[in-house]
Amino acid sequence: MNYNWNWGIFFQLSPDGTYTYLQLLLFGAGWTLATALLAWAIALSVGTVIGMIRTSPIPWLVSLGNAYVELFRNIPLLVQMFLWYFVLPEVMPQAIGDWLKQSSNASFYNAVICLGLYTSARVAEQVKAGILSLRSGQRMAGLAMGLTLPQTYRYVLLPMAFRIILPPLSSEFLNIIKNSSVALTIGLIELTAAARSMAEFSFQVFEAFTGATVIYIIINIVVVSGMRWLERRVAVPGFISMGQPAVAH
Amino acid sequence: MITIDNVSKWYGKIQVLKNCSADVAKGEVVVVCGPSGSGKSTLIKCVNALEPFQEGTITVDGVSVGDPKTNLPKVRARIGMVFQHFELFPHISVKRNLTLAQIKVLGRDPKSAAEKGMKLLERVGLGAHADKYPGQLSGGQQQRVAIARALAMDPIAMLFDEPTSALDPEMINEVLDVMVALAKEGMTMIVVTHEMGFARKVANRVVFMDKGEIVEDAPTAEFFGKPRSERAQLFLSKILQH
Amino acid sequence: MFSNIDWNVIIRSLPYLFFDGMRFTIMLTLMATAGGVVIGTLLAMARLSNIPGLSHIAGAYVNLIRSMPLVLVIFWFYFLVPYIGQWLTGASRPIQVGAFLSALVTFTLFEAAYFCEIMRAGIQSIPRGQVQAAQALGMSYWTGMAEIILPQAFRNMLPVLLTQTIILFQDTSLVYVISVTDFLGAASKIAQRDGRLVEMYLFAAIVYFVISLAASYAVRHLQNRIAIIR
Repeated sequence: MNYNWNWGIFFQLSPDGTYTYLQLLLFGAGWTLATALLAWAIALSVGTVIGMIRTSPIPWLVSLGNAYVELFRNIPLLVQMFLWYFVLPEVMPQAIGDWLKQSSNASFYNAVICLGLYTSARVAEQVKAGILSLRSGQRMAGLAMGLTLPQTYRYVLLPMAFRIILPPLSSEFLNIIKNSSVALTIGLIELTAAARSMAEFSFQVFEAFTGATVIYIIINIVVVSGMRWLERRVAVPGFISMGQPAVAH
Repeated sequence: MITIDNVSKWYGKIQVLKNCSADVAKGEVVVVCGPSGSGKSTLIKCVNALEPFQEGTITVDGVSVGDPKTNLPKVRARIGMVFQHFELFPHISVKRNLTLAQIKVLGRDPKSAAEKGMKLLERVGLGAHADKYPGQLSGGQQQRVAIARALAMDPIAMLFDEPTSALDPEMINEVLDVMVALAKEGMTMIVVTHEMGFARKVANRVVFMDKGEIVEDAPTAEFFGKPRSERAQLFLSKILQH
Repeated sequence: MFSNIDWNVIIRSLPYLFFDGMRFTIMLTLMATAGGVVIGTLLAMARLSNIPGLSHIAGAYVNLIRSMPLVLVIFWFYFLVPYIGQWLTGASRPIQVGAFLSALVTFTLFEAAYFCEIMRAGIQSIPRGQVQAAQALGMSYWTGMAEIILPQAFRNMLPVLLTQTIILFQDTSLVYVISVTDFLGAASKIAQRDGRLVEMYLFAAIVYFVISLAASYAVRHLQNRIAIIR
């Protein structure tokens, strides 16, 4: 194989003179996590609302929720990023458009909003599925006690629904971390972008991408362990596999 | 024909079969009964190695089933098995259910396999249903097809694992009739069942199991008339009250 | 706001967009799906097998791929495939691999990990009694798999497999990062050449939207029909 391996490349200074390649990769990982966490905050909050209205008894709200989900699910993430980053400033009034294009962290904000809304559609799906998996008697019991519908969601339905969907939700969180890499196309120097730039400058292509891969794996392991801890911590005693009562009726 | 010799089996730390021994001669019909959890289904599944066992030997027509060198598919092709939940293959027609193993395992040509399948289907009274799918048949019909499917392989012995336990009461007899006819033709059969009427009619011997052990093994008349063990007596008194 | 829109650029570029771009996208989607399902099924069988070590190797591969972003996997194979080609053919230098082949290898092996998990769930959902019935009739492992287990598993998981294909269709747009001309790449080229970002990207979004939406409705329709047959 005509390739010169050099694993020490991580500790050599990058062309900018100040940081080693390893540090550049770690900065990239930092941007990845920052993007993912902020986007996740958006995805959870918006997604929960959309998921709830899709299960509400008001037909036009349900249609609105469904339309929202279909819109974000049927356009590739990359295309959505381009729409936010390239198209939105153009269709806004001149002043806002210019401001958008010139702000220094434009790629970061665009990536966060785009990723957040894209994922919110998937979170909405999970929340809807979680709520619908509960026996209908739960909602009726809440209302029968005199709770309003929003209160029933807040105190009765959502707490159980979230425990049920914790596994697929943690999958979505891992997806958001991976999907943040798409933002490299609009200039965000997250982990994969940092690896590619390291590959270009040092010519140690495989070392660079191995470094990025290892960091993604570590992030994965940390998140999965964290999610397992969370699942154990919020588990309701007597419910196996979340939602199935321990004793068959 | 079938020799079970000191067979013991563990699931992890739990022992589910304890030193079980029994012999089944050619043409004999042996009924295995006992409370649930006694290990009777497990034992019968050991005979054709669907379940592995850790100690003891099982020999079928001279072939040791537990020997790692044994060609298991070959042995299994010679023993027919009928399951509690019928286990017809839902994605293929009744006819194909009957011919699939004949063609793929025994290498018969499709024409003779189909002929044999149809003959057996007629024998169990379901000749008109050859082109239907299992999902379109009742439980009793499915189980009769399952018996025909097992017979299509020309087995030297037939194993029945609670063949009527999953059937609605009105369908139990149509299946038992087929099994009685089979017994009268001289087929070697081991039948795990709660149907004591069937046992009294055609069984040569009754084996009673409890908590993984064979507690009693006696000719039918003796078992029902004067069971020797207390556990068997208790079981019979409960089950015969139906 | 929309005063400066030039819709003609879309009409002018339709042939290029569809005959070059969309053709690439659809071919890549279909071939990667076919290859991915086959390899994914084999991986699933490996993960469920009793052969020592095999299930661990298959599991490690699937877990590795699933923890990596697709963009990173695309870069990996973009640089790796020429070296693999050199190793396979014994050439003296890494061989030049065409864009399509590189993308095909990437997406097939990437999607195989996801199809593996789908097929594994499908195989495990078949009642054990079916396996035992096949064994009781004397069928070997491969005969039982081919005739009894896999056909049923495939049928059960068909809607999920098709949904994964729709996801793959959208994911192919990421070949952009290695400057390959799929549908989005074609739209992007026109957008940059003619300075018509708004029109081209909006058009691309609409096309992806319509195709994906239609496909997902078709899958839902299929799901309803299968549910009736059961």
